[in-house]
Amino acid sequence: MRYTAKAMLLSGSALLSAGLLSLAPSASAMAQEAIFVMPARDVGAPSYNPILGTRLNAATTLIFDRMVIQDADQSFHGQLATSWETSADGLTWTFKLRPNVKFHDGEPFNAATIVWWLPKFLGTENAFMTDAIDKVDVIDNLTVKFTMKNPDPNMLFNMASSFMGIPSPKSFDQLGDKFGVTGAVGTGPFKLESFVVGQQTVLVRNEAYNSASDLSVNQGPAKLKKITLREIAEDSTAFLELKTGGVDMLLSVPTDFLPRLSSEKGTKVVTLPGTEVYYVAINTSVEPFTDIKVREAMAFAINQKEILASLFGGVGEEAHTFLISGLAEAKVDPKLLIAYDPARSRKALDEAGWVMSSDGVRAKAGTRLQVKLWTQSGTEFKRITEVVQAQLKAVGIGTDITAFDAATITAQYRKKTEHQLAVRVYSWANADILDWFFAGKRAGHPNHSMWVNATSEALNEKAMKGSRTWDERVANFRAYHENLLSQFVFAPIYQPVQNFAYSQARITMPATVRGTRLQSQTIVDIEKK
Amino acid sequence: MVKSSSLRTILLSPRGGISAIVLLVVMICAVFAPLIAPYAYDIQSLRDANLNPSWKNWMGTDEFGRDLLSRMIYGARTSLSVALTAISISVAIGMSLGATAAYFGGAFDRLVTAAVDLTWSFPEILIALILIAIIGPGLNSTMIAISIAYLAQFTRLTRVQIMALKSETYVEATRSLGAGHAHIIFRHLLPNALTPVIVAGMLATGDAIILEATLGFFGLGAQPPTPSWGAMMSSGTAQIFIAPWIIIFPGLAIAITVIAINLFGDAVIDVLDIRRQLRDS
Repeated sequence: MRYTAKAMLLSGSALLSAGLLSLAPSASAMAQEAIFVMPARDVGAPSYNPILGTRLNAATTLIFDRMVIQDADQSFHGQLATSWETSADGLTWTFKLRPNVKFHDGEPFNAATIVWWLPKFLGTENAFMTDAIDKVDVIDNLTVKFTMKNPDPNMLFNMASSFMGIPSPKSFDQLGDKFGVTGAVGTGPFKLESFVVGQQTVLVRNEAYNSASDLSVNQGPAKLKKITLREIAEDSTAFLELKTGGVDMLLSVPTDFLPRLSSEKGTKVVTLPGTEVYYVAINTSVEPFTDIKVREAMAFAINQKEILASLFGGVGEEAHTFLISGLAEAKVDPKLLIAYDPARSRKALDEAGWVMSSDGVRAKAGTRLQVKLWTQSGTEFKRITEVVQAQLKAVGIGTDITAFDAATITAQYRKKTEHQLAVRVYSWANADILDWFFAGKRAGHPNHSMWVNATSEALNEKAMKGSRTWDERVANFRAYHENLLSQFVFAPIYQPVQNFAYSQARITMPATVRGTRLQSQTIVDIEKK
Repeated sequence: MVKSSSLRTILLSPRGGISAIVLLVVMICAVFAPLIAPYAYDIQSLRDANLNPSWKNWMGTDEFGRDLLSRMIYGARTSLSVALTAISISVAIGMSLGATAAYFGGAFDRLVTAAVDLTWSFPEILIALILIAIIGPGLNSTMIAISIAYLAQFTRLTRVQIMALKSETYVEATRSLGAGHAHIIFRHLLPNALTPVIVAGMLATGDAIILEATLGFFGLGAQPPTPSWGAMMSSGTAQIFIAPWIIIFPGLAIAITVIAINLFGDAVIDVLDIRRQLRDS
């Protein structure tokens, strides 16, 4: 009886294995299929709608082309535009569009698309990028002219943003609110096959792709036939997947994994200049942070040097302003830099009337200086937050950490008064990020600092709309940046470099990564071995 | 209740004795943590991060340079206090509900039975996760979630016991002497139904430690810097190749404690011969 049962079990297993093997794709079919892991910060991005979305993930530029794209040397290159020019007064821009481009749904891309597309930004969170454009005129089927309300020296940067991916008008209007969720149609090198928020996105090659920029070696369809982009919140899990062959590439690798990854045979790590800044948003609308002295104390209690050295092995940079250090607008008056100064922090708390108690947490009129410190799930967030907690405790600020899932924390911020401090990160290489995070009209989210101040608003307005030349824009944004630094509406922490890692046994990368990040212009050149 | 002779039999049995010693050690760590722990559990020293186990730090240090042994000792306090408090609440409410439902019967009994059956059909972890999603993460939330997750088990067990006891002659006699419902339930029925419930509670404590560790692993239990074994394992996953001891020691602590609780519970069941009563529930 036992023998019979065992035999049945073995036969069943054999049949099951045979069945599974027959279902498995053949080696040749797998040849140009790759699995990437999205950066942890992209996990939970809810949509691929570039017009309405405020969080887009790394796959967006693979689905949607932009008018222009930016290289690592900050130069701009045409993608859907082949050339452009601006008038001497900066009040008109003329773009020549690439001919014979079709959307994934077969619709043509032409000047009419631009006339339909730009007004769609009106009233959206992303409207600031097109605010300066007064109207769009069709010169001919492949030429458009923008008439500006005011000169916008940031025009090309805006046009290169992933939020400026151009969707198919027909699909966009047909899908309505579901665009970006159930379907996303652009002209990019890959078509969206499926998307499950928080899990994965499957892209298939756009065989008709013909709008690669001159940054790509490959000017035709992408070499990879299919890309699965998985969302894995835990960096260690993603690392194990790469190590065990479950995935071919990690689009982002935490700095503390670098030594381990570098010693892995067959794994190549590539480092690019950083575009991210970790910081603590300080909710200026709730006690005790309505008091600038408490904000000052909080900001100067963060030991950036210790965090860089101990948590990140010295890889990256200390952050002392809100902007990445490579930007000219980050070169502020040195007196305004926020750098660890525990004596100044303690003095500010003393001046604000917070007296140290026996338990190491300050108190004032019977109220303890115990505040909420929010963070997101993910290894780097948790580690930075725990160190920040200890550093704040050292000056007498007690904190209660709450870790939220990346997908739910935005809803919590929108409540406006629930949070007090929040460890955050952004990735952006332009000073207009200041407008995004500190403009009064965005209080709650993304203005998590809830900063609404007349002087700041005026400086922001001048920087966003009153700059005629690039130099003027730099000066105006620097003034706005200095104003924000002087008000201690955030505490800068750390500026990481960008790292990605791939399996050399399975992936062939182009010789040079083009652009400010690993995006479509490089990914179309990636091959599976 | 357990008589002293039965207790001696339990403690003299190999599994009862060994498990009792292990549990005693864990409980001493939990109760006297501030006296036993060599260092403070929350003081960071980033330059001493991920140090190997040594004479100075017997279990090494974690990614923030905190002494792992000290955090393990304080973690015992968190894990045991959460599990014991949650199960005690669950036993108290479950017994009251089960006894009342069984004694009075009727619509109330049907309502309680339906609620218990409904809850019984979901895994405890799912119930706990749903509750924490509603009330938010933290130690108190974890306690509430665990106590509610295990409520059905004790309600059901008590109800079965009381159903069997309420038609006993001594209960009828007490009622005929004019005793009130509360007197009959709390003085005559519950004491006789107590033993299997207490043993089930003991066994559930082991499960509750695992549930607390699971919630802690997901970041829903004790919030930093408060140590809990589950949360320590969670932070250890990121360091698994650099400092594997961060995940190994809390994992071992959970395993050893739960095995000890289960072995002790088994020894109690055997000595008191109540396996059938537990199975019938």
